[in-house]
Amino acid sequence: MAKDHLKVIAQPDQQVPVGSHKQRKRKVQVTWYLFLIPSFLGILLFLVYPIFESFRLSFYQSNGTIEKFIGLQNFQTVLTSQPFWNSVWNTFYIGIFQIAIAVPLGFIFASLINSTPKGKNFFKVIYFLPNVTSIVAAAMIFAFVLHPEMGIVNYALEAVGLPTSKWLSDPSSSKWAVILLAVWHWIGFIIIICLANLQAISPEMYEAAKIDGASGFQQWLFITIPNMGGTFAFLLITGWIGALQRFNEVYVLGGPSGSPARSIQTMGAFIYERGFTGFEFGIASAATYIMFMIILVFTFINLKVSKMKL
Amino acid sequence: MSYKKAEKIGMYLKFFILLVFGILLMAPFVWMVSVGFDRSANIAMPFPPRLFPDDASGFNFTIVFENGRLIQSYLNSAFVTVTSVMLAVSSALLAGYAFSKGKFKGKRLLFVIVLCTLMIPMEPRLIPLYKLFNSVDLLNTFWPLILPSIINGMLIFLCKQFFDQLPDTIREAAQIDGAGEFKIFFQVYAPLAGPIAATMVILSFIGSWNDFLWPLVVLSNQELHTVPLYLASFSLENGTSLGGLTMALATVSVLPIIVLYLFLQRYIIQSIALSGVKGE
Repeated sequence: MAKDHLKVIAQPDQQVPVGSHKQRKRKVQVTWYLFLIPSFLGILLFLVYPIFESFRLSFYQSNGTIEKFIGLQNFQTVLTSQPFWNSVWNTFYIGIFQIAIAVPLGFIFASLINSTPKGKNFFKVIYFLPNVTSIVAAAMIFAFVLHPEMGIVNYALEAVGLPTSKWLSDPSSSKWAVILLAVWHWIGFIIIICLANLQAISPEMYEAAKIDGASGFQQWLFITIPNMGGTFAFLLITGWIGALQRFNEVYVLGGPSGSPARSIQTMGAFIYERGFTGFEFGIASAATYIMFMIILVFTFINLKVSKMKL
Repeated sequence: MSYKKAEKIGMYLKFFILLVFGILLMAPFVWMVSVGFDRSANIAMPFPPRLFPDDASGFNFTIVFENGRLIQSYLNSAFVTVTSVMLAVSSALLAGYAFSKGKFKGKRLLFVIVLCTLMIPMEPRLIPLYKLFNSVDLLNTFWPLILPSIINGMLIFLCKQFFDQLPDTIREAAQIDGAGEFKIFFQVYAPLAGPIAATMVILSFIGSWNDFLWPLVVLSNQELHTVPLYLASFSLENGTSLGGLTMALATVSVLPIIVLYLFLQRYIIQSIALSGVKGE
């Protein structure tokens, strides 16, 4: 509004012919495109081109130098390959439990931190600490932390009388080792995001509830949780996008094949294994496209689901 | 009176729960440092776990530093991260400013394209990018790690949001004085962008420092390995043997980041929260 107002005043003073005014405007427009050159050069070269090239490659048999068009055969190979579906299963299994455990737990701890009168900042800093360490270093530490005989987790479980687990040395429990690591690493992020949004809820609502005699827990249940819908949606969406792309920690813990017995090989690891240890670029490209579609569809579903909640 | 008492008990209970869980979260770090100082842990991990090693020595750390590969990887990571951050932040500042204050055709469409880049994962781009850098003979250099940082949709988005909050009136005043768009940007708006620039530095630093999959693909030369690559290769080579050395290595690679975090925690936590709140 103010802008238009200013223009109206400024125009009569300029006293320039209409034509040259237009020219000047065009010149100004061109300047704006100059601002965008670095970013869009990057988008073209590092995003648009690779996406199309990868699509093309998925129809070829390729090892990087020799290429042969083979139609949909790569897709057929991937979609009928047992290791691929196994990697999809692993990815979803780890993702579901990571999110189902970390988000509620993180929200509860964020609420506790938010309501504790002392040491708010101290806890915030401590709880976020695992998240600032790289997941690669964290995985390296967890290989020992979860060691069945010498690790501290089994030691602690035994000390309080709980059943222990073989963790990474048994295919039936190895996914839970990754889930534990993922929750440990991600929970700080959830707490920070929840805290920021908890503090944005208007205090007047709580005051009104207090006057009506609502207890602290009732306030949490009927004011806090309904107001966090958008935050949960955000965490669900970013959580799933991250979970579907999981690679770093499973590579460190189980190598490209996700040992033991491919039990922690994720989609990302499958692609890495076929693409960069086997140099089957066509098959890996087809797999990345299938993975890409899974991510898009799943993000879309998440958006729909979380919108219904809002 | 009893209501107040109950409230007080609840308060202590909350504090206690937070403390216990906090200790559980920190336990792996404490154990890491403790085992790192334990020379005998290379043969058998100390069991039952103890806070202070029986035979404490800096042996493992001496080996880690004498080996030199960790220091080399630190230098590599530092170089890659600093250049990537500079490139990412300056490119995002320019684009974010144009999307906020600019008036040009196709602005909305171009901005939607920027937002779409946020949806594209690394995996489908991995092989074409590998082939691209291979074709110009840049594999096993730092260029493949640095150049793609030029585009970061998240940073552009945050930057646009920031400039949107700055009034247009400063611009109009400078325009009447006859300043060109670049002059206005560099002399008027860029100096005001300190807070958002700090946030962008923090976010892109974290991203670049921890980057793993892409460096793993393009850097096969061990001398160029970044910290995460070196850690991963060490870990895969040794598995769960050489516990003492592994933990010393983990300590040296994690502690500087933790110390940096403790100094900058306010800004880092704010930046993370901002990227989450605005990303909604």
